[in-house]
Amino acid sequence: MKRFIQHEELARDSRFIRQQNVAGRVLASLPDDVDAIVEAFEKLEPVIDAGTRGTAAEPLLDEYGVAFTLITLNEPLRPDDPGAETRLRMRMHGIFVGELQALEGAGRSLWDFPDSPWEFKMNMARQCWDEARHVQIYEKLLRHVGGDVGMFSESTFLFECACPDDPAMRVAGVNRGLEGLACDVFRDMLVYAEEAGDEVMKQAVDYVLADELTHVRFGSEWVKEFTRNDPERLKAAQDFRREVDRRFNFGGARSADPDAAIPIAWEDRKEAGFTDEELAELAELSGEGPSRKTLRAAADILVARHRERKGLAPLAEVQL
Amino acid sequence: MSEARLYPGTGQHERTTFEPYSAFDIPADLRELHGRYDVEATARRVRNFRYAEEWMMMMMGGWVATIPELPVKTGLGKVIWETAQAADSLGKRLPELRCGRKSTGSSEAPNQSFAEVIQEIARPESPDLTIEKLVAIFDVLKPHLVEVYAKTMRETDQICDAPTIEILEDIVRKTRRHISWGQEILDRLCDTEAKRSARLQRAAEIRALLAASGGVTGELGSAQA
Repeated sequence: MKRFIQHEELARDSRFIRQQNVAGRVLASLPDDVDAIVEAFEKLEPVIDAGTRGTAAEPLLDEYGVAFTLITLNEPLRPDDPGAETRLRMRMHGIFVGELQALEGAGRSLWDFPDSPWEFKMNMARQCWDEARHVQIYEKLLRHVGGDVGMFSESTFLFECACPDDPAMRVAGVNRGLEGLACDVFRDMLVYAEEAGDEVMKQAVDYVLADELTHVRFGSEWVKEFTRNDPERLKAAQDFRREVDRRFNFGGARSADPDAAIPIAWEDRKEAGFTDEELAELAELSGEGPSRKTLRAAADILVARHRERKGLAPLAEVQL
Repeated sequence: MSEARLYPGTGQHERTTFEPYSAFDIPADLRELHGRYDVEATARRVRNFRYAEEWMMMMMGGWVATIPELPVKTGLGKVIWETAQAADSLGKRLPELRCGRKSTGSSEAPNQSFAEVIQEIARPESPDLTIEKLVAIFDVLKPHLVEVYAKTMRETDQICDAPTIEILEDIVRKTRRHISWGQEILDRLCDTEAKRSARLQRAAEIRALLAASGGVTGELGSAQA
């Protein structure tokens, strides 16, 4: 078996539909400009269309066009929202495939770095078991909210962060960038579960969040260890983590704003070993992308154009 | 000294009396000293065992991304962790066997042939080779290890080397569970004659290589196996 694989090589059963990662990358680099966002998303239409047809999101595409991706990502998820059920299933499915890729990433770290320190291998082996349980947990939670595996397409952009050939960069990207994002998302899911009065979801997500803190700690410790006395390697690892954080901000969906779709989980991140400087930098990075107001305005234009093209009646307000 | 007593549950017709210790009045220890392996031989075996466990853990980790069947991916997660724990506990025994304080991460193939067997087991990588991947581990290598660990536990000095026995007992218990899981998965995956035949063929190939290498200790088939 060769060492170092790419995200295209991840093996899936026939239920899964693969989505190209272009939208995520574009979103991470967009300016705070309505016209630029509209233009970028109109160009992305064929890609988003291809990744949506045949999935449970197809009715959203028909109704709102490509703008549905902007709205589902950037609006906070609350139980009384009009489209909460669909968006909850989308988010659960996204977390489920994210956990799957985290399992695969931890497993690949065992194979790709045979000469790494034994304690590192032990941490990665433990993470394999944890992520495997998370996959099982989210598969069950997905069914709990009326969804199923493969109902939405899978973007493998999380696994892309698990591909560097330097273990320092890999743990910086996966254990600090990806698992840090998991802390933010799961803290938000706990708020949702609390508001919805869903005790099953609340308890399960709380356990998973506890595991994620441990994984971030693995990352914090191993970045330090791998880059000890090697400032260049440390810089490369930190730069990579910043790049991952920038991508995982989803154009401002995860941010320090109190009304962000996914607020930064400050306390959880501190407990996991993020320093105040790193958190300040994350907040700054998350403010680089377009504002929620800009994204909403772009979505309104995209929806109006889509409905006009399809001969559908205009909507007074886009609610999803 | 108190009088000779019978072991609990035995009768007068059985010659299983014991002299209680005067101080504690407990049964005498009937185990005998001297096992098949001395300190050096046990240390070598532990390094050999650790080599197999560590490589299994690494290759299963690599396979997770290349296996399409979801229950196999998630099931392997736990097997990987328990196999890592096996390697870890074996490594922690090494400093106790005069291998040096830093020997906890030491692994050693018994010979080049066994190292090649491990590389052959790790060879399959494409997504349509789940059966070939699992067969080598769950039909051949793990059962072989259980056999050798059980033999080691029986033949090593029961008192002097009790810590090794304790470690192996735990590993064998978990490994038997891994084998049951893996073989159940394989039974389900091999749902056609062609697949059942591929399973048998791959198992036979790996078994032959394993036998030729002398197994995990390099002694399979010899007087010292």
